[in-house]
Amino acid sequence: MAKIEPGMEAMLDMYFYETNSLLEQLDEILLRTEQANAFESEDIKEIFRIMHTIKGSSAMMGFDNLSVLAHKAEDMFFVIRENPELITDVSFVYDLVFQVSDSYKAQIEAIQNNVGGEYELFDFDGLIEKLKNAKEKLSGEANGEAPAAAENAAPAASAPEAAPDKQKTSVRVFFEEGCQMENLRAFLLINTIREECSFLEYFPADVETNPETSKEIIEHGFLITFSTEDNQDYILKQIETALNVQSYEVLTAAAEAPAASSAPTAEIPPEPAKEAVQSAPEKPAAAPAPTESAVEKAQAAVANAAAQGGSQKQSLISVNLAKLDALNDIVGEIITTESMVISNPDLEGLELESFSKAARDLKKLTGELQDTVMSIRMVPLSGVFQKMNRIVRDMRKKLGKDVEFVMEGEDTEVDKSIVDSLQDPLMHLVRNCMDHGIEENVEDRTKNGKPAKGTLKLTAQNSSGEVVITVSDDGAGIDPEKILAKARRQGILTKPESEYTVKEIQNLILLPGFSTNEQVTEFSGRGVGMDVVKANVEKCNGTIVVDSTKGVGTTFIIKIPLTLAIIDGMEISVGDIVFTVPISTIRESFKVETEQILRDTDGNEMIMLRGICYPLLRMHEKFGIETEVTELQDGILLLVETDNKSMCIFADKLIGEQQVVVKPFPKYLARYNIKGEGLSGCTIMGDGSISLIIDTNTLIG
Amino acid sequence: MTSDVIKEAVAKQQSGDRKLVADNSVLGKVMTFNIGEQVYGIEIQYVVEIIGMQRITKVPHVPDYIKGIINVRSKVVPVIDIRTRFGKPEIPVTSHTCIITLSFNETSVGIIVDNVANVEDIHSSDISATPENKNVNTNAFIQYMIRSDKNSEQTKLILDVAKLLDEQED
Repeated sequence: MAKIEPGMEAMLDMYFYETNSLLEQLDEILLRTEQANAFESEDIKEIFRIMHTIKGSSAMMGFDNLSVLAHKAEDMFFVIRENPELITDVSFVYDLVFQVSDSYKAQIEAIQNNVGGEYELFDFDGLIEKLKNAKEKLSGEANGEAPAAAENAAPAASAPEAAPDKQKTSVRVFFEEGCQMENLRAFLLINTIREECSFLEYFPADVETNPETSKEIIEHGFLITFSTEDNQDYILKQIETALNVQSYEVLTAAAEAPAASSAPTAEIPPEPAKEAVQSAPEKPAAAPAPTESAVEKAQAAVANAAAQGGSQKQSLISVNLAKLDALNDIVGEIITTESMVISNPDLEGLELESFSKAARDLKKLTGELQDTVMSIRMVPLSGVFQKMNRIVRDMRKKLGKDVEFVMEGEDTEVDKSIVDSLQDPLMHLVRNCMDHGIEENVEDRTKNGKPAKGTLKLTAQNSSGEVVITVSDDGAGIDPEKILAKARRQGILTKPESEYTVKEIQNLILLPGFSTNEQVTEFSGRGVGMDVVKANVEKCNGTIVVDSTKGVGTTFIIKIPLTLAIIDGMEISVGDIVFTVPISTIRESFKVETEQILRDTDGNEMIMLRGICYPLLRMHEKFGIETEVTELQDGILLLVETDNKSMCIFADKLIGEQQVVVKPFPKYLARYNIKGEGLSGCTIMGDGSISLIIDTNTLIG
Repeated sequence: MTSDVIKEAVAKQQSGDRKLVADNSVLGKVMTFNIGEQVYGIEIQYVVEIIGMQRITKVPHVPDYIKGIINVRSKVVPVIDIRTRFGKPEIPVTSHTCIITLSFNETSVGIIVDNVANVEDIHSSDISATPENKNVNTNAFIQYMIRSDKNSEQTKLILDVAKLLDEQED
């Protein structure tokens, strides 16, 4: 157990955000390159940079185990980067890095869940050991298999390196921008390395006494010339790790004349002799092996390059979601207030030409404002899809099923809160498809005329205010017989078996407590899952249906509204209460004729519409409202439909259509079962009064 | 925080610590209001604002003392009728009837009162604990009382806002 260092809490959010996005990036690169089965040198550099950044920020936050882990992974990639030809057998590298990525995520989650308290400290020793071994194996191969390359490189590399060893080495040090008192920092740096040096000279020489030298150091760097017995790398490391040092360059004897550009030191190839030292067991951290500094140098260069590259793409900023929520609320309030002003009763009957014009302009602007705020909250689904890719990859390996993962429309954007709540259901579905959907035996596939390689497809598309996401496989499909039998055993059938349509049977698997897989596996089959998926999807006002053909495959179709906050509503009045019915659920509204009204034996009213019989719900009875309109002929009927279920609701009259901002019920009322009884929230209308929003789903329930 | 000081004072008073009487310091302020003849009070830090009676939108499936929800500057706030909550008969709305909105732990509610009386200081010597009587239901919402030596003024019952807002239905 460990605790977050005090004073670091403020930076935690940033750290989580950064590290998580880096890990996502890492996963993406790994998946892409694994599929292509080749590491581009760009990719390796990118992975290297990611590990380096994680290492740095973790160390800063005091998460030492994470820092060490990233360091070891980085070391391994250093070897790979220098000898890209080595990774012929890449799968173990992938497995290792995926493990690292997972360990990271697990630890970060543990920390995240216990901010301010104690969090469990994971032990990564095993993994670190593996990484070390992998690195040694790789560097061993580097020495053994590529001696020619090494020999060729050796003279070139050792000439400039070996010579300054005995002679003087010049280093130009740059401090971080704006760190201030550069002259004193330079002096401190000199003091740190003085003991190790047999000769030491620096320019400007009067740094200790003359603050004016700061300027010189900022502009041209701080020039140190030293010679040492055998500790050059150690000193370079000292310089690099010194406080506020941003970068440094080693000036070879020839290049002692001030060079304007900072030549990246990473270009120096590792010397074979030092590689050999490395294969001897390494003492952890305390006494860094000589190559460590080469690694460090390389990292510094890579990090610098990244920093330079980063400054160009500063068009993205990360914003706290709470701020966006607040902004969203305010915009909602502005829109409400606007209509309160514009349709103010005081203005009635007045001819206000210029006011009307101004009002129109205002309306247009607030509309744009609302659209913009909405678009800020929209994020592409690609992040979630990418995670599914990862799951498919892992399961493919574990289950030994050959499955291709296809993504379509991952650029589709939806509200951030929806993206978050989609992750779990999608994960369940993908796992289900992998585990139950795709056939165990390849023969079962080929027998049915399907390719041996299975396909799992994830698609997303926008269609009229909704996002349609499908998860489909070309596997065995759902066997209605089996489902029915299972449902019978579980006792979840509600009507005679013969009355169930195939579609209804297939959708039985979405009911709680249903799991057809007899065996519980690591991935699925615990009897929770599909109903959780359904509940999760419904939480964001979405729907899910199953469409499957035995032997051909299964498709899950999820439909989710683009945003939760604003809906198109139809205002209806019942007594003195105004309800808002989401227009998306209304099929039609009509006046009823006496002959359309039927009653069953229990006296329940039903409405016959074009040959179909719908149950009737009287709103005033359901919600206990006093109204004068109790005769069906006097009021209005709305046919509402959701989830393939329909019913007619009876209200006094239609008021009109309006876009409304959905507000949840106040926290104080959360303890009462309002939501379960057909109301999903409330909204403030133009005149300041409150309307209750009908949740068609639970109303039909 | 004021309420901590007050709680301490109540506890001392309860345990018969008479030292308090001599020390007549001001511990905080209460807003007092009437329900029928009785004067109640609410510590001022919980009071957000006083608004006039307005149209309340009824919400189904809640106890009858929850009158519904109102719109207070684009915030949806539930309204409790203190009268009904304390088992008193409802009376018609008068021009004095108003809603006091309270906030506690980010929960907001409005309470309907007959009229708002005053804002006054809480003197430590006036604080008096409620009699311990488990059978009297209304005591559950009363944190302590403020006695008054003057004949013209009644003892005020100070409501426990936390209990009022966080009560759980059985």
